[in-house]
Amino acid sequence: MSADDAPVIATRGLTKRYHGTDALVDLDLEVAAGEVVGYLGPNGAGKTTTIRLLLGLIRATSGTAAIFGLDCRRDAVAVHRRLAYVGSETSLWPGLTGAETLHLLGRVQGRVDDAYGDELVERFALDPGIKVRAYSKGNRQKLVLIAALMTRADLLVLDEPTVGLDPLMEQAFRLSVGEARDRGQTVFLSSHILSEVEALCDRVGILRAGRLVEMGTLAELRHLSALTVEATFAGQVPDLASIPGVASVVVDGPVARCQVHGPVEPLLRVLADAGVTGLLSREPSLEELFLARYGGRDTGPVVDPPASPDAG
Amino acid sequence: MPADAPVAGASRRTRSPATVVAGRTALAASRSGAAWGAVFAVAVASSAVSYGTLYTSRASRRALADAYGSNHATSALFGPAPHLDTAAGFTAFKVGMSLMLLGAVWGLLTGTRLLRGEEDQGRWELLLAGGTTPRRATAQGLVGLGAGVAVLWALTAAGTVVAGHDPKVDIAVGSGCYFALAMVATAGMFAGVGAVAGQLVATRRQAAAWAATILGIAYAVRMVADAGVGLHGLVWASPLGWVEELGALTDPRPTALVPIAALTVVLAVVAVTLAGRRDLGAGLVPDRSRGRSRLGLLSGPMGLAVRLVRPTVLGWWAAIAVSGLLYGLVARSAATAVTGSSVHDVLSRLGATGSGAEAVLGVCFLVLAVLVAFAAAGQLTATRGEESSGRLDNLLTRPLSPAAWLGGRLAVAIVVLVVGGLLGGLAAWLGSASQHAGVRLGVVALAGLNLVPPALVVLGLGALALGLAPRAMSAVVYGYLAWSLLVVVIGGIGATGHWVLDTSVFHQMAASPAVPVDWTADAIMVGVAAVLAGCGIAAFGRRDLAGL
Repeated sequence: MSADDAPVIATRGLTKRYHGTDALVDLDLEVAAGEVVGYLGPNGAGKTTTIRLLLGLIRATSGTAAIFGLDCRRDAVAVHRRLAYVGSETSLWPGLTGAETLHLLGRVQGRVDDAYGDELVERFALDPGIKVRAYSKGNRQKLVLIAALMTRADLLVLDEPTVGLDPLMEQAFRLSVGEARDRGQTVFLSSHILSEVEALCDRVGILRAGRLVEMGTLAELRHLSALTVEATFAGQVPDLASIPGVASVVVDGPVARCQVHGPVEPLLRVLADAGVTGLLSREPSLEELFLARYGGRDTGPVVDPPASPDAG
Repeated sequence: MPADAPVAGASRRTRSPATVVAGRTALAASRSGAAWGAVFAVAVASSAVSYGTLYTSRASRRALADAYGSNHATSALFGPAPHLDTAAGFTAFKVGMSLMLLGAVWGLLTGTRLLRGEEDQGRWELLLAGGTTPRRATAQGLVGLGAGVAVLWALTAAGTVVAGHDPKVDIAVGSGCYFALAMVATAGMFAGVGAVAGQLVATRRQAAAWAATILGIAYAVRMVADAGVGLHGLVWASPLGWVEELGALTDPRPTALVPIAALTVVLAVVAVTLAGRRDLGAGLVPDRSRGRSRLGLLSGPMGLAVRLVRPTVLGWWAAIAVSGLLYGLVARSAATAVTGSSVHDVLSRLGATGSGAEAVLGVCFLVLAVLVAFAAAGQLTATRGEESSGRLDNLLTRPLSPAAWLGGRLAVAIVVLVVGGLLGGLAAWLGSASQHAGVRLGVVALAGLNLVPPALVVLGLGALALGLAPRAMSAVVYGYLAWSLLVVVIGGIGATGHWVLDTSVFHQMAASPAVPVDWTADAIMVGVAAVLAGCGIAAFGRRDLAGL
């Protein structure tokens, strides 16, 4: 992220309220040119609301949203010349064939890399001669993805773009986003698939009940959560629970599993004295971070019933 | 009544949680049956009552009976006309064929909407994943449709019986109910045709098109039978012919109920049987999923609009042109029939200047104006459909402003309406010219254009509703159309005050070609339409996109 570049996306206090329900509250978001930013949150957290505000399809109740320095609502047409959008539940015209749809969307967009479009059709193994009504959900999603990617737009706004894609196509998608990043395109990716975000994104924002609760690089976010440690002991398993920073201790025969917040030194000292025969430790995955965020004890009231945090 | 026999058995087998389909369908069909039933009732009652005011003398009644009683042209178009010297016979002739056709159209639209449209929307998937099977769901849907037909019948019967109380009309309660049964018989049969078509093809639109084609064939066969060319036996080859054979209000022959009931039951059984033999979301006739890509029109939103509305618009144009042609064909003989009656006086009072045939066309063109206005409403529904389905997102997330998109859709609609009006006028001229009715081309062409301003007002009103209250748009537009229609129908028998008449957009239109086109009124209507549409476009650009 280069500091001198003007941000591609910038929102200040962006808020959307529907009939007294807060869909999005006070969102301050900045995405720099060339960044790939992941946007996470459970259903109903406000991800799609954010994206529809950025696209100018709905009006903000308060706050501002700008893309390339232009107001998302007032200058929507100018903004849209430089962005491409993929929705998760796109409905298309059932009577048009795939090729007709791509042609139409390309012409409305105005700027399309036709050669790249052909390459994408091949990469995603799409048969463009079939009518949209006969496509499966996954094939329809491919069609929208190709229509967006072939524009080579400066900004890609992707709202759960891989819903319905099989693992092979998921790979093709990751390859394409990688290409976009290599070309310097900016990507804003809302997703449920944490491995996808982990593989693609430079920074991650986590949204919860309409509020952005976390924003940072994966490395930064990892510091917020615990390190998982699994130790196998030769003899008696010592009392680990009383060590400062250690929590969630589970003992299973000679094996003990726990989580460490903060410095690991006190734990290491105890382990060294107790005679450890095996030691595994790993940083939390994005999934664990996500679950920690939503299973949370210290994150305020939980709206959605979360899955219990799993130290694995 | 339709669909009772096969369905009673099916609903006995279903347990109460699974009757949800029957309930939902019955509610929707009854609502729509009530709306159409009100129109049926008013149409029957107003023409029954108007007979006494229009044909006051015995001589004028005899003239009417002589003109139509053995007229093969009108008999081919509207069915035979026995007993025109009574209010009952006049009513049966005047509204019989129109209501028969309207009933059939209602049946096929409602049948395909409730049995196939719901499936297109993906709602049946949820129901069928629950405690019911496609066959049971279809059987229940047919029960619901039956309820809708019953409501349609009840209102039509009520209108007939109430008007029949008037001593000048004098229709017995039993005759009124029998007449109403005849008028809704097509609704039952064509709901069945729609239900079967919905099993054969994969979309509601296609199913409606198939059913409409069958209705067209049925009408054509009956036309030949009644054309006085010695083929009257063919009347038994057409469901519309059976209804005619019922002889409601003239010479009742209830035996014709047998084929009507039999066809309805058979169609219901076939629909239920076929429903179990096909995949959800598919039809028994394989759908062409592969198509040659035709990119010609798809270079922008307006081209897309043209491509999307083309099939429906061709249908509207055909309906308007065929109606115009038919009116042209009968204009001359109708003019002879009204000469000397008070209809002629009414037309003269309106300032009728043209030949007798032009005067008659002036009255007929009101129906064309209604068709053109309904075409406007259809364009609005299609426009709103792009938004509510979410397909519009694909365009508005690209460099295209909401105002430009809506403006483009309205521009396409305006072209549709102008061409429709002109087609109606030209077709009427063509029909009347073939009968040497002395109708002037220029006059009728202008009268065709004169049909457009009321439709533009409807379009403008719809655009405003689309901008301010998108989810209520359809109700606003169709509500206003129904109101306008009701007011002119009731106004036609002199039953309302002038300010009420003024609220009807059809009342604002001059009855051309009977009278000269009122350019001032047309200019005002176009102006009002432009202001409404302008406000609608502005409001649309300012609001959030709204789904279903």
